[in-house]
Amino acid sequence: MTTNSSNSSIADHAIFVQAITKRFGDFMAVDHVNFEVNRGEIFSLLGPNGAGKTTIIRMILDILRPDDGQIQVLGGALTDATKDRIGYLPEERGLYKNVKVLEMLIYLGQLKGMSTHDVRVRALDLLERFGLSDNTKSKISQLSKGMQQKVQTIATILHKPDLLIIDEPFSGLDPVNTQLIQDLLYEMKAEGVTIVMSTHQMHQVEEMADRLLMINKGQRVLYGPVKEVRQAYAQNAVIVEGEGNWTTVPGVKEVLAGRNGQEAKLMLAPGFTPDDVMQILASRKDYAVRRFELAVPSLNEIFIQVVGGNGSRAEARFNDVRAAD
Amino acid sequence: MNLAKALIVARREYRVNFRSPGFLFMAFAFPLIILGIMFFITQFIIERETSTDDFQKVAYVDNAGIIQSGVEAPEGYFALDVPEVEAVPYIEQQLRDGVADAIFVIDANYTLTGQVDVYSQKNVTVALKEDMDRFLSDNLVAQADDLQVPVERLVEPIDMVFRTLDTDERQSEAALIGRFLLPTIFVFVFFIATSTTSQFMMGGVVEEKENRLMEILASSVRPLELLVGKLLGLSGLAFTQIAFWTLTGAVIALTTEQGRDFFSGAEFQTGDVLLMIVLFVLDFVLTSAIMLGIGAAVTAEAESRQAAGFIGLIAVLPIAANALFFTNPNGPIPVILSFFPMTSPVAIIMRIGLTSVPTWQIAVSMVILIASTVGVLWLAAVVFRLGMLMYGKVLTPKLLWQALRENQSTPVIEVLPE
Repeated sequence: MTTNSSNSSIADHAIFVQAITKRFGDFMAVDHVNFEVNRGEIFSLLGPNGAGKTTIIRMILDILRPDDGQIQVLGGALTDATKDRIGYLPEERGLYKNVKVLEMLIYLGQLKGMSTHDVRVRALDLLERFGLSDNTKSKISQLSKGMQQKVQTIATILHKPDLLIIDEPFSGLDPVNTQLIQDLLYEMKAEGVTIVMSTHQMHQVEEMADRLLMINKGQRVLYGPVKEVRQAYAQNAVIVEGEGNWTTVPGVKEVLAGRNGQEAKLMLAPGFTPDDVMQILASRKDYAVRRFELAVPSLNEIFIQVVGGNGSRAEARFNDVRAAD
Repeated sequence: MNLAKALIVARREYRVNFRSPGFLFMAFAFPLIILGIMFFITQFIIERETSTDDFQKVAYVDNAGIIQSGVEAPEGYFALDVPEVEAVPYIEQQLRDGVADAIFVIDANYTLTGQVDVYSQKNVTVALKEDMDRFLSDNLVAQADDLQVPVERLVEPIDMVFRTLDTDERQSEAALIGRFLLPTIFVFVFFIATSTTSQFMMGGVVEEKENRLMEILASSVRPLELLVGKLLGLSGLAFTQIAFWTLTGAVIALTTEQGRDFFSGAEFQTGDVLLMIVLFVLDFVLTSAIMLGIGAAVTAEAESRQAAGFIGLIAVLPIAANALFFTNPNGPIPVILSFFPMTSPVAIIMRIGLTSVPTWQIAVSMVILIASTVGVLWLAAVVFRLGMLMYGKVLTPKLLWQALRENQSTPVIEVLPE
């Protein structure tokens, strides 16, 4: 992408990152990474530990400075005013232990440019929504880990940010609170907030994210809409569940046992498509099909495949598929 | 730099630390405890100094021939004949043998010099001296015409002269105490205020690092704003503490007769007081910046305490070396300590109390102190930025040097926390 062509699109992007590089001595933490985050989308940042995700986030927030490259946030370079429009929940997060909940929230809200009155009203509102209205005067150290995490989340969204950057938002939460945070994120997305989410919980990404960026050893290895990424890794195979002898179906070259013991994965011979197999099965009385779907790998499988294998090759492969599309 | 955000940080630091039990104790309870201790010590001293119980037998050796048989001596006083040769060993032997509890030797030229040597194995109390004063005074009055006694000898029978050792400048007793005590009080107040607030300064940063708060704060405020905010807030705290102490001290001093005497005797110039305040502020900022830098560089509170102890030790070097200051305040060690930034305020102020410090030395000391304070503030901001996100890792001087040399915004470490 050239600088000229990008100028018109910068305003459309909540984050625009061009060829950023960061070295720590001889260690290349981030190596010429490009990506954009569209306004109003949920964007997922993936990668193994030490891949460079947090370094990228810190560079976006100007906590670290890139050695090379350009970063634009909410339509321009990061200023104090822009910082006030960002909510950030880092992975390594904590709170003052001996400070009361409301006092802590007011302080963090003030640092985001809110007036004491506004931040108090908003904090009380959110504390009630998160079931913490009885704890406004409790010290942080008196709260359970889950409650502390909810306070951290409240602190992140207190100032109604336009851009939310959250690192592992669901770690340490029980299913009820996970759902609470998930609903909140959907609600914010519906209000037009851009959400960048870094997580290892792949099912959350599959479920929530519109697009993703996968980093490995400081380099971009996967980037694009979640559906397209998964599609690109789809094999010429289908998953079926039902009764019948799958090995005798025309066009099936191999049958693999499925994950739950009931399904089967039918590997198709060259020249045969899933549509062909579906038509054959529908026309035959000796097969009863309860489920039929494309064998699209989960993000977890893709993650293991990409991180365990050659990241650069995976990126090339995905890009080839997109180009062919 | 966004000053509004620095002020939000300053307000919070002030409020939270003001309410902490540690500050409340140091600011309010500690001075009361000190005052209580001082009261009891004073009572004890008064009790002791007003008593002559330990001196039942007091001998006098009248080399001047001024003691008259007609003048009544205090109870227990008697004349002692001392051989002309080996007089002092003889007197010491008399004391050891218990012949007398104290022996006053009146100099042959007493009427001119007022010199009286006192020998005793016990501490000579003020009451004993006053008894002897009165006894000599009565004798002088009885034969004033014959002896042609100078008037001042009648007024002050025993002339005690205090002289500073280097200039031989004659000073009154009250002024001497005032000039010596005020710097001592200054050093004491400075040391307590700095060490208290430094603990908060460093403890706060270490807490924010230990509790993983730094990154959340860093997404809202710049490291310099955080640093300046903390400095402002905790400086305010220190000055609150000092203001309370000064006010309490002033009220006590001005409502008691001894206090008024003390301040009238303390011949401090306005310039000296201004100099003290400037030195105090500069040294406070310097020490605080060092403490903030250490807080950002270390990983745990225990490490920060060790470092704080070391810094505190350097700051009190002039007090530890007070003997050198008293014997020769313009000697090489006091002068060197006056130029070293971390010791210079205390050293200069101690010397001002004891001698007249050359103006050029004060000027050089100030220039070095201002330059160091600015330099240390800059370095503290760099360390703060480098160290604040190094959770669980110590920012060693080697890493800091590497980062400074390579002009990096982040230290050279193998893997950052991910």
